[in-house]
Amino acid sequence: MSLSIARPLVSVYSEKSEVVAGSSIALPFVFKAPIRPDLVNDVHVSMSKNSRQPYCVSKEAGHQTSAESWGTGRAVARIPRVRGGGTHRSGQGAFGNMCRGGRMFAPTKPWRRWHRRVNLRQRRAAAAAAVAAAGVPALVQARGHIIEKIPELPLVVSDKVQEITKTKQAVIFLRRIKAWSDVLKVYKSQRLRAGKGKMRNRRRVQRKGPLIIYYKDQGLTRAFRNIPGVDLLKVDKLNLLKLAPGGHVGRFIIWTQSAFERLDALFGSWKTPSKEKKNFNLPQPKMANTDLTRLLKSEEIRKVLRAPNKRVIRSTRKLNPLTNSKAMLRLNPFSAVLRRKAVLDQQRKNNQRALALAEKRGIKLSPKDPAVRAEKIRERRQKLLKLAAAKKTKKPAAKKTAPPPPKKKAAKEAKAKTPAPKK
Amino acid sequence: MQHDDVVWAIINKTHCSHKVTTKTQHFCRNEYNLTGLCSRASCPLANSKYATIREENGIIYLYMKTAERVMFPAKQWEKVKLSRNFEKAIYQINENLLYWPAFIKAKCKQRFVKITQYLIRMRKLKLRRVKELVPIQRKIERRERRREEKALVAARIDNAIEKQLLERLKKGTYNDIYNFPQMAFDAALKAEEVSGESESEKEDDEEEEMEIEPELERELQKTVEETDEFVEADSDMDSDAESDSGRKENVDVRSDFESETSDIEDMAVKKISRKKPRVEIEYETEPIASVSRKKIKN
Repeated sequence: MSLSIARPLVSVYSEKSEVVAGSSIALPFVFKAPIRPDLVNDVHVSMSKNSRQPYCVSKEAGHQTSAESWGTGRAVARIPRVRGGGTHRSGQGAFGNMCRGGRMFAPTKPWRRWHRRVNLRQRRAAAAAAVAAAGVPALVQARGHIIEKIPELPLVVSDKVQEITKTKQAVIFLRRIKAWSDVLKVYKSQRLRAGKGKMRNRRRVQRKGPLIIYYKDQGLTRAFRNIPGVDLLKVDKLNLLKLAPGGHVGRFIIWTQSAFERLDALFGSWKTPSKEKKNFNLPQPKMANTDLTRLLKSEEIRKVLRAPNKRVIRSTRKLNPLTNSKAMLRLNPFSAVLRRKAVLDQQRKNNQRALALAEKRGIKLSPKDPAVRAEKIRERRQKLLKLAAAKKTKKPAAKKTAPPPPKKKAAKEAKAKTPAPKK
Repeated sequence: MQHDDVVWAIINKTHCSHKVTTKTQHFCRNEYNLTGLCSRASCPLANSKYATIREENGIIYLYMKTAERVMFPAKQWEKVKLSRNFEKAIYQINENLLYWPAFIKAKCKQRFVKITQYLIRMRKLKLRRVKELVPIQRKIERRERRREEKALVAARIDNAIEKQLLERLKKGTYNDIYNFPQMAFDAALKAEEVSGESESEKEDDEEEEMEIEPELERELQKTVEETDEFVEADSDMDSDAESDSGRKENVDVRSDFESETSDIEDMAVKKISRKKPRVEIEYETEPIASVSRKKIKN
């Protein structure tokens, strides 16, 4: 779809599917036309309405009675009822869509708008899109054609094919260029239609096979028309219903050489208008370079964008500091000290109470009793602290080298002294 | 490359014949698909640079496709046979896909591993005897069953058996071994003596007998059915007639089947005798049956 691309060469194949040396045609510009599946579908929908035959119910259906409502007071519904007597029909409801034998709701009329006109430009653009899509192997495969073994796409065959008269030769030709597997698929898909179409002259269904587009019919049509699935088309009269059956682009097309060469004259290029179609130029694509992934990764675009915001915000679980000790520590590290102090104070209090009780009651506690032991430890400690304090006061000069320890000792002293008065 | 995004946009949004959708996932039935899923990176149609691993008859190949060869479908896929040594094969994959996108490299290796594993499993299974599960196709089964029934009815086996038996009789394979009850046989002989029939006529008679028999058989079947109906009533009434049946015990010793045939013979002989000099022979084999016959006739 890039307008500036150099045109690739397409080689021509003989009817024996050998490359005809020296003859290769430049790809016509149509194959670079924008592929618009939405447009093709819309045009296809409208075009397929044009071959419809009108249907309707009879004008008088349901009204061929002289029925009149009985009115009120007869203990029956007020629907018009058939007059007279002596038959089943008398007294039955008539005229309504709910009545048996009445006319239907909104009887179908023959003056329904059966056909649709499509704008010429749309038709031409759709045809160009369908031809362009038939040149993309991926789309042809996606549509369901078996093209694994064909030599090239778009497949161009020499004009000798137009002179084939016998179906047998036609089959041999299709086999040689490996298009026969597509026809085989048609054979396998032949089945009875599901539904009432069976009894309405639409009994059998099969899928579409290859489409052969020719320039001059010298027996070609009659040779190929009996092969199931194969369609024939003249270049000058390209039919969208055959180029994109079902509204889906990408039919497998076999071109004859003269037909292929004619495409340039028919559709023209962007610079030169078409010779055959008056006032027609190939539709302009919306994007000149359609490779979106490449574009987005290119330097020119990346340069203009701001840097990506790669900050990842992860949501954390909120933990209540009043219940969760670790959360509390994160907020207030001193709480550990306070907690520990509270624990120790509690212990001390318990011990003192135990000792006091023992004294009061005159019970001698065993030396292994925890309260007694704790008391002993405390006393020992206090003695040591006093000694240390005494040493410190004796040798102040020698202690210059180790300032931190005295601080600790002072803290201990403070701690030891404060509990002492409390005691 | 230029077309890839366009192709993907068309395939994804409109129609791809290889796509299979389920409630949760999209699958790709294209045989060259690397993962089996339908997605932008694993669609062999929407990526002009693509590689797969496929196995054929137990041999694993690496298939590669590049943008230059996209227009020539016959030459599109480059096939590289992988070594049977696992590590060498991985090395080969790495070499061949040296500067390829990481997704394809990774998926190729995963697929290769999976394929080797299932091939190993297949080989192991072949050594064991495995019961093969064959799915039953309901529609076909139903259809065939109904057709069998219809064919059975259409074949009309009873008629065919009859015809065969009669043919054999005609041919003479039974060598005239036919169990006639004594009384009937004697009576038939008498009839022959009286009439002075020639053998050829006898043969005609026999043929006529045969020909009449099927019709007689059918009539008799009907009468037998009707006699069945009557039997229950008459057995209560005809207690006196049982003395008669006692007399005929010689006949009744044989099976009921033969008594029926004796009826056939009676009928046949009766009719034949009518055709020739009229010698009416009445037999009372089973009083019940004869009574009923008289009833029917009258």
